[in-house]
Amino acid sequence: MNHILTILIFFPALAGLMGFLVDKKSIKPYVVSITLIELFISLYLWYGFNSAEIGMQFVEQANLIEAFGVQYLIGIDGISLFLVILSTFMTLIGVVSISDDTEDLRELLLTILFLEMTMVGVFVVLDAILFYLFWELSLVPMLYIIGAWGGNKRVYASIKFFLYTFTGSIIMLVGMLYMAYLYYQASGTWSFSLLEWYRLQLPLDYQIWLFVAFFLGLAIKVPMFPFHTWLPYAHGQAPTVGSVILAAVLLKMGTYGFIRLSLPLYPDATVYFLTPIAILSLIMIIYTAMVAYAQKDLKQLVAYSSISHMGVIILGIFALNPEGITGSIFLMISHGIVSGALFLLVGVIYDRRHTKMIDEFGGLASVMPRYALIFGIMAMASVGLPLTIGFVGEFLSLVGFYKYSHIMGIIATGTVVVGAIYMLSAYKRTFFGKVVNSENSKLSDLNLREYLTLIPLTILVIVLGIYPKPILKPVDESVKAIISLMHQKAVTEEAKKIIPNIKIGEEARK
Amino acid sequence: MNFDINLNINISNFIDTSTLLYIALFSPIVGSLIAGIYGASPKRIGIGIIVSSLIFLSFLASAGLFLHLYFGGSIVNVRMMDWISAGDLSVPFGFVADQVSVTMMLVVTLVSTIVHIYSIGYMEKDKGFNRFFSYLSAFVFSMMFLVMSDNFLGLFIGWEGVGLCSWLLIGFWYERESATWAANEAFIMNRIADLGMLIGIFLIYWHFGTLQYDEVFAKVNSIPVDIISMIAIFLFIGAMGKSAQFPLHTWLADAMEGPTPVSALIHAATMVTAGVYLVIRANEIFALVPEVGYFIASLGAFVALFAATMALVNRDIKRVIAYSTLSQLGYMFVAGGLGAYWIALFHLVTHAFFKALLFLGAGNVMHAMEDELNIMKMGGLRKVMLGTALLMLIASVALSGIYPFAGFFSKDKILEVAFDTHNYILWGTLWLTAGLTAFYSFRIVMLVFFGSARYKDFGIHPHEAHGFMLWAMTPLAVLAIVAGLFEHQFIDFVTKILPVYNFSEGIHEIIGQLVMVTTAIAVTGITIAVLSNMFKEGLFTNTFKSNFIYKLLDNQYYIPKIYDEVFSKPYRELSELFWKSVDLKIVDATVDGIANCILSTGENTRGMQSGNLSIMLRLMVIGITVLLISAILYSYADSILTLLQGVLN
Amino acid sequence: MNLSISLEHYLLLSSILFFIGLYGVIVRKNLLMLFFATEIMLNAVNIGLVAISNYYGDLTGQMFAFFIIAIAASEVAIGLGLLVIWFKRHNTVDLDSLQSMKG
Repeated sequence: MNHILTILIFFPALAGLMGFLVDKKSIKPYVVSITLIELFISLYLWYGFNSAEIGMQFVEQANLIEAFGVQYLIGIDGISLFLVILSTFMTLIGVVSISDDTEDLRELLLTILFLEMTMVGVFVVLDAILFYLFWELSLVPMLYIIGAWGGNKRVYASIKFFLYTFTGSIIMLVGMLYMAYLYYQASGTWSFSLLEWYRLQLPLDYQIWLFVAFFLGLAIKVPMFPFHTWLPYAHGQAPTVGSVILAAVLLKMGTYGFIRLSLPLYPDATVYFLTPIAILSLIMIIYTAMVAYAQKDLKQLVAYSSISHMGVIILGIFALNPEGITGSIFLMISHGIVSGALFLLVGVIYDRRHTKMIDEFGGLASVMPRYALIFGIMAMASVGLPLTIGFVGEFLSLVGFYKYSHIMGIIATGTVVVGAIYMLSAYKRTFFGKVVNSENSKLSDLNLREYLTLIPLTILVIVLGIYPKPILKPVDESVKAIISLMHQKAVTEEAKKIIPNIKIGEEARK
Repeated sequence: MNFDINLNINISNFIDTSTLLYIALFSPIVGSLIAGIYGASPKRIGIGIIVSSLIFLSFLASAGLFLHLYFGGSIVNVRMMDWISAGDLSVPFGFVADQVSVTMMLVVTLVSTIVHIYSIGYMEKDKGFNRFFSYLSAFVFSMMFLVMSDNFLGLFIGWEGVGLCSWLLIGFWYERESATWAANEAFIMNRIADLGMLIGIFLIYWHFGTLQYDEVFAKVNSIPVDIISMIAIFLFIGAMGKSAQFPLHTWLADAMEGPTPVSALIHAATMVTAGVYLVIRANEIFALVPEVGYFIASLGAFVALFAATMALVNRDIKRVIAYSTLSQLGYMFVAGGLGAYWIALFHLVTHAFFKALLFLGAGNVMHAMEDELNIMKMGGLRKVMLGTALLMLIASVALSGIYPFAGFFSKDKILEVAFDTHNYILWGTLWLTAGLTAFYSFRIVMLVFFGSARYKDFGIHPHEAHGFMLWAMTPLAVLAIVAGLFEHQFIDFVTKILPVYNFSEGIHEIIGQLVMVTTAIAVTGITIAVLSNMFKEGLFTNTFKSNFIYKLLDNQYYIPKIYDEVFSKPYRELSELFWKSVDLKIVDATVDGIANCILSTGENTRGMQSGNLSIMLRLMVIGITVLLISAILYSYADSILTLLQGVLN
Repeated sequence: MNLSISLEHYLLLSSILFFIGLYGVIVRKNLLMLFFATEIMLNAVNIGLVAISNYYGDLTGQMFAFFIIAIAASEVAIGLGLLVIWFKRHNTVDLDSLQSMKG
C-alpha cells in the first residue's frame, strides 16, 4: 500500500518486458490480464483515496539528483486520480479491441503496455523533470503505434505528430529550467518539486514569459487552434487502438498540464492571457466543428469533433471558478470515454469494409441495428444530451465560463448547435436512408470482442450521466484547493478579483 | 355546471403521494425499456399492450395526485437524489406535483394513453412496431420529467429528452430521406433555441445562486430588473424553439413526416406546448417584465395569423393541422405574454384534446387512403368512415371555437384578455385568425368527408379504422365537447399557485358583444368553407392559383427556401471553405512551411560540409575573425556609442 | 633617434609572421605546406609570448613558449606520420583528396 503508485507506474512496463518471454499465442490473454490487474490497482487507489483530505495523497519521495533537487516525487489528488483510472481503463478497452490477427501482435501489445506506464506516470508525478520525462516518453510508443501499424501515410503522420509535440515540449522544458533557476534564486536551494514551486510568488512579467513557454508545450498537446493540424493526420492514419488511446488519454495530458502547472504556478499570467486564450478556444469550438461538418472521412470527423470538445475543456479550465474547472475535468473523462468509443465504432465498420468514407455507407441502421444503437448513444453523448455523460461536463464548463463573459459565453454555448449539426448529419448519412451500396447489405452486426469493448463504455456513459457525483465530489475538493491557492498567490488586483476566494478544508466547515 | 362535491377524498390515506409521483414518472420508462429490449425483433402485440397499460398506470397515478391536490392536499415535492454538484452549484433530481404540473401530467398521460392504444392499431403492419412503442414511451417519460421537475436544469433534461424522442420519432421511417432530413432539422432548430434556454439557466444560476424554482421565485424581487428581462428573453428563446414560434417554426410542418400518432401526441398535444408551459411555470419571472411579455404576446398574435394563412391553402392534411397547431400556440403565448397564465394553461389543455383528436382522425384517413395525404384526392369519405368523420367534425367545431365546445371557452378568454388590456391590434389579429381557423378547419372536413369521391380516380379503396381505435379516440371527443364547462373548477384549482387574472370592470358590460363578434366571424368562416366547397370543390380555381398571394402562402412565404439559401447552404460552403482552404491551405501549410523552411536551410547549407579541409580552414578563419571583432565591439560598446553620439550631434 | 629594438618591434614581427602563417593556412593546398604554415603561426605566437615575458620580467610566458614548442613537435611527429601513410595510400598530399567525410 505504501508504494502503490510506484507499482502502478512500473508494473505495466515490467510486465511488458516479461512479455517477450511469453508465447506468441497467449500474448493477448497475458496483456489483457496485465491491464486488468492494472485497472484493479487503480480502482483500489480510488477505494483508498480520502476525498475529504486536502492535498496530495499516497505521496512517495526519494532523491534522484540531490545537487539539483530532482526528486522521485509522486502523489495524487482528486484530479489525477480519475485521469489515472481513465488511462488504465481505456488501455484495457484498447487492448481488448485489438483483433487477434493483427500483424506483429506481440510488439503492438507490448508497446501499449509501455505507453500505459508513461500515461500513468504523467498523471502521478509531482516533479517537473519527471513530468517532462514521462511526457516525452509517451511520444515514443505512440510514434511506433502510428508509424508501424498505421495507414498509407503513416510515416508522414507519425513524424509530424512527434516533431510537432516535441518542439512544444522542448520550449516547456526551457520554461521549467528557468522556473527552477528562479526558485533557486529565491530560496537558495534547487528544487523541481511542483509542491515547492507552488509556494513561489512571482512578479507578473516573469509569470508572463514562463506562462507562454508552458503554454506552447501544453497547447500543442491539447491541441489548441492553430496548433491542431497534427491531430487529424495522426487520427486518420493511426490504427483504431492508437486513436482510442490518443483521443482518450494523451490529449488530456495537455489540459491536465494546464491545471497542474500553468494555473497554480502563474495565476496572474493566467488572468492576463484569459481573453486571448478564450478567443482561441472559441475559434477552436466553432471553427473545428464546422470543419468536422465538411469531412468526408468518418474518422477525421470524429478527430475534428475531438478538437472542438477540447475547446470546451479549455474554456472550462480558464473559467477559473470551481464550477468551470470541475466541469472541465469531468468533461475530460467523459470525452475520453465518448471519443474512445466513437473511434472504436469507426474501427468496427473499417474492419468490415476497409473504408471510412461516409459516402460509402448509408442505411446501416437496418443492417446493423445494435451497432446503430450504440453509435446513436455515443453520438448523443457527444452532442451533450442530458443524462448522458457528455452533458454534465459541458454544462458545468459553460456555466463556469459564462460568469467571465456574457458574449463569449453565448458563442461558446454555440457548441450545442454546431456539435449537433455535424454529428446528426454524419449519423444520418451513415445509418439512415436505404442501403444503396450492395456491399453493405451483408455486413454482420457487432461480434463478441466488440461487445466486450463497447458495452462497458455504453454503461459508463449512461450511469455517469445520471450519477456523476462519485467523480464530481473528489474532483471538486481538489479543484477548490487549487483555486484557493491561486487566489492567495495572485499578486495583481485583477487576478484577485477574477479568481474567487474559496474557503477549503477546516475553514469551509466553520 | 357547478357540482359541489362534498365527498372529500384524502388520497394520502390510501397510498403515499411520493410513491404515486414516482409511479407516474417512471412507469413510462419501464415500458420503454421493455419495448426497447425487443426493439429489433419482430412485432409482438403484447408489447403494445404492456406499454399502453404502463402509460395508463401513469395516468392513474397522475389522477391520484390530481385528486390529492384537488381536495386540498399539500403540494408533493420529492428530492430523489443529487445529480450535479460542483462549486456552489447543486442540482438534484427533484420532482414536484403542484396544481400546474399535475394538470400537465394529467393531460400528457391521458393523451399518451389514448395515442398508445390507438397506435396498436395504427402501427399493426409496421415492422418497427416494438421500436415505435419504445420511443413513444420514452417520450412520455421525458415529457413527464419536463413538467414534474422542480428545477430549471431538470426541466432542461426533459426538454432535451423530448427533443431526442422527437428526433427518433420524426425519423422513425429512417429509410425515407425526407423523414430523416426533417428529424435533423427539428433537432438542430431546437438546439438553436436550447442555446437561449441554456444562457437563461446560466443567468439564473449566477444571479440567484440556485436553479430550484421555489428558491428562484422567492428571490425574484431582489434582482435588478434588467437581469430579469434578460433571463425572460433567453428563456423565451428556448420556448420559441420547442413551441415552433416564428422564426423557428419551419421544423414543425416538416415534422409531419413522422407517424401520425406521433404528430398527435408530440407535435400537437404535448411537446410543442412545453414552451407555453415554461412561460407559465416561470410566470413570476415573466410577470416582472411586462415589456418582454408584450413582445411575447405580439409574436404570438403574429404567429397565430401567419400560420393560419399558410393553413388556408395547403393541400396536405397533416400540414394544415400542423399549421393550425402553430396558430393555436400563438394564442397561448398571447395569453401568457399578457399575464393571463391560467388562461394560457386552459387553452393548452383544451387544445391538447381537440388537436390530438384531429390528428388521430387524420391518421385514420391516411390509413384509409393508403398513406395519401393530399386532400384534393379525397372527398366523400363520410360514406365509408362515418365514425372518423364524426370525430373529426367534433374536433373541428371545437377548434373553430363554437359554443359549447371546449375551444370556445378557452379561445374566447384569450380574446377578452387582449381586448381588456387595450391591445386592440392583438385582439383584431386574433379575431381575424379565429375566422381563418374556422375556414381552414372546415375546408379540410369538406374536402375530405364531403363532396364527390375523388379517390376513386386514383384506385384507392378506403376502409374504416379498427373499432378499438375509434373507441380510444372517444374520450378525447367527449373532452373536446365538455372540457370548457369545467372552467370554474379549473380556475379555482390552478389559481392556487398561478396569479388570478382580474378583468377590469368595464369589460363585463361588453363581454357579450365580444363573444357575439367572435362567434360571428367563426361562423362566417365555416359558412364560406362549406358553401364554397358545395358549389366548387377545392375552392381555388386555377386563375386563383397563379395569384401572387396564393403562391406566397403555398410556398410558406418562401421561408424554408430562404433558410436553405441563407443558412444551410452558406454554412455548408463555409465549412468546406474552412476545411479545404483555411485548415489545409493556411494553418497546416504554415506548419509544414516552417518545417520545410528548416529542411531547406539544411539542404542549402549542406554544401558547407564538403569535407574539404582547406574550405573548412577558411571558414574557421572567418569565424574567428567575426568572433574577435564582435568581442572587441562588445567590450568597447560604451565608448563606441558615445563616439557615435558625438558624431551624430 | 633611438634605434634600439623595443617591444613593439617584437610584437610587429610576431603579427607579421602570424599573418604569413594564416595566409598559408588559407591558400595552400599541399598538406606539407599547411604544416609549415601552422608551425610559422605557432612560432609567431612564441615570439610574442617571449617578448612580453621579457618585458614584464615574468617567466610564465617563456614557460608557455616551451610548452608550445613541445606540443608543436609532437603534433608534427604524429601529423607527419599520418601524412606519410596518406601519401603511401593515395600518392598525393593534396587537401582536395581528403574528402571522404562529405556531408
